[in-house]
Amino acid sequence: MDHRTLKGRPPYPFETIGVAVAFSPRLEMVLGEARRLAATFGARLVLIHVGDRTEAKEALLRQTMATAGLDDPEIPVVWREGDPVSRLLETCKDNTVDLLILGARRRENMLRYYLGSVARGLSRAAKCSLLLLTEPQAAGSSFRKIVVSGVVNPKTIFTMNTAVYLARELGGREMTVVTESDQPGLAMAVAEDSRAGEAMHFKDQATSAEAAQTHAMVGLCSPGEIRITEKVIHGRAGYAIRQYAEHNHADLLVLNSPDSRYGLIDRIFTHGMEYILEDLPCNMLIVHSRLS
Amino acid sequence: MARLTHNDLIVLLLAISTMLIMSRMVGELGKKIGLPMVMGELLVGIGLGPTLLGACFPGAYAYLFPFTASAGFSLALDGILSLSVIMLLFVAGLELQLSQVVRHGKVAIYTGFGSMVLPSVTGFAVAYLFPQWFGVQAGSTNHLLFALFLGTAMAISALPVIARILLDLKLFKTEVGMVIISAAIFNDVVGWLVFSFILSMVARDGGGSSEVGATIVYIVAFSVFMLTVGRFLCNRALPWVQTKLSWPGGVLALSLGLCLLSAAFTESIRIHAILGAFIAGIAIGDSAHLREHARVIMHQFVTNFFAPLFFVSIGLKVNFLQHFDWLIVSIVLVLAFVGKVAGASLGARLGGMGSRHALAVGFGLNARGAMEIILGSLAYEAGLISQTVFVALVVMALVTSIASAPLMRYFLDDAREPGSTSAITPSTGLS
Repeated sequence: MDHRTLKGRPPYPFETIGVAVAFSPRLEMVLGEARRLAATFGARLVLIHVGDRTEAKEALLRQTMATAGLDDPEIPVVWREGDPVSRLLETCKDNTVDLLILGARRRENMLRYYLGSVARGLSRAAKCSLLLLTEPQAAGSSFRKIVVSGVVNPKTIFTMNTAVYLARELGGREMTVVTESDQPGLAMAVAEDSRAGEAMHFKDQATSAEAAQTHAMVGLCSPGEIRITEKVIHGRAGYAIRQYAEHNHADLLVLNSPDSRYGLIDRIFTHGMEYILEDLPCNMLIVHSRLS
Repeated sequence: MARLTHNDLIVLLLAISTMLIMSRMVGELGKKIGLPMVMGELLVGIGLGPTLLGACFPGAYAYLFPFTASAGFSLALDGILSLSVIMLLFVAGLELQLSQVVRHGKVAIYTGFGSMVLPSVTGFAVAYLFPQWFGVQAGSTNHLLFALFLGTAMAISALPVIARILLDLKLFKTEVGMVIISAAIFNDVVGWLVFSFILSMVARDGGGSSEVGATIVYIVAFSVFMLTVGRFLCNRALPWVQTKLSWPGGVLALSLGLCLLSAAFTESIRIHAILGAFIAGIAIGDSAHLREHARVIMHQFVTNFFAPLFFVSIGLKVNFLQHFDWLIVSIVLVLAFVGKVAGASLGARLGGMGSRHALAVGFGLNARGAMEIILGSLAYEAGLISQTVFVALVVMALVTSIASAPLMRYFLDDAREPGSTSAITPSTGLS
């Protein structure tokens, strides 16, 4: 595989969908989601398991695939050994996977969160787009309410368009682009000598500047029939959108992939996407745009 | 229980109300001509203290501030002022989001290091090599501690004044602004940790090597515990506190209570109470769950009640005219400007920023404001520095704060020329 072909490859259409096989009780549901997504997008499926390859596992996988409606013998299953996160990412790269889907718990226990589960680990180092399914359904999840992070970043326009593509193919009609407005230190800066309403004025000024930038990005998006709503929320980046998605019962939260790999220090001094990984509010799509 | 006499209480209330009302009036007047609020508060202190009132109307001064005549008054005011400085450090910590430094990566870390290391080294070297300039006896117990102190005093920043300057210059949410704030957070955390070590050593009269080691271990262990386990617990408890208890009473009472508890603990292990308050502020303020309204109330309460009392009291303690020494003021000013601006600019350059933006970052971080005055005041109270050095530090804090905005504007206006706008573009958030 010539990895150079990946450079500049757009995040959609999803031509190859990878499935991380974990042999958890939710395997059948995850495979059901994969079957539905592959059929919808006309994508090729690749199943990947990192761990020992045993006859029992092979038999279980064949049986579960059949139950989930994936009994096509042409579907490749890749068996790898080693560190799950690195092997999964390598395999995705080798197979030009556009979207990797996997099941993820809403919340990990503290030790697992800090040491890193596979789903969280992949999210922190995403080198291809990831769909984390918190409650996978055998018949496929509904993605009616989609929330997209409208952070000011060159990748965001690709993320928005990917969300539109996904919504369009899966019958979604509405998408909310959320801008998080955070002013750390504002309370301190205006505590002493601000006139009435001055703090609010500063806040509004910053908010409208951010909203204008998001609006400009939305203007570049091609929504087709999807109705896009713009929303500005106040609070710390990552935390605020998590709360928003949770309170609004979103079906899918869509974000850019991180600009740099998140490490343990980012978990200790939580920021950005780590707030979401702490407690997933719903299914999450992390869009990896390979900007050339 | 010892009680304030009827007369002591009247005088205490009169003194506090005079300090509050006058500092607000002078501060508001000063604001009209662009002076920081703290300048007005200091001027009121100078006016009410030995420099002016004490010299012109000694009777009125002795009546309003009977430090020598009434032990009860002195003790009560001292208690209020100690509480003031504890609260000031608590709210300073409240705004330090450690994740800001992590989030802004290489340029913030390099700028933080540069703006810390170079001023510390130059300050330390000058104080260590030429102690006589500052009235310190070479080889005395205080010699090394004083050199360490001057290094720290040169390295510290003042987030409140910096944040205000950035807000006024509309740079608050830009890349330059975020780098300045992140580096200031780094400076403040390290600076106050080192300063609490120095204060602790002064209280132990220098101490032996085992005491030095024990103090460092205590400070590091306490800080690490509070910034990891303490922060985690605050983060978990805050949603419950803010939804199940009275709002905002519950969170205010518990936050301030935790601040005092933490301050009492550090004082009890012979590290200054300010460290406990400062670290408790970080542990609580770093939580994304702390609602903005609660944060605003704490800031308003402390900044508009405790801060004026504390800054006015500085003028009551020191005769500014008598202890103003041009030479020391000049040395301190040169050290402050050269060390901080060069160190921060160099760090920002190494982090990948353009030269003019890097200089703007340097001048932004150079604003020392109220934090430097608090630091100097505590060092003076501990007997580490003379009144002359303290006055020089106060002057330096004011000059650096006033000079910061125009100098930043100068370098950024130039950088705003076509083709050089990248570093003043809005900072990106979650990605």
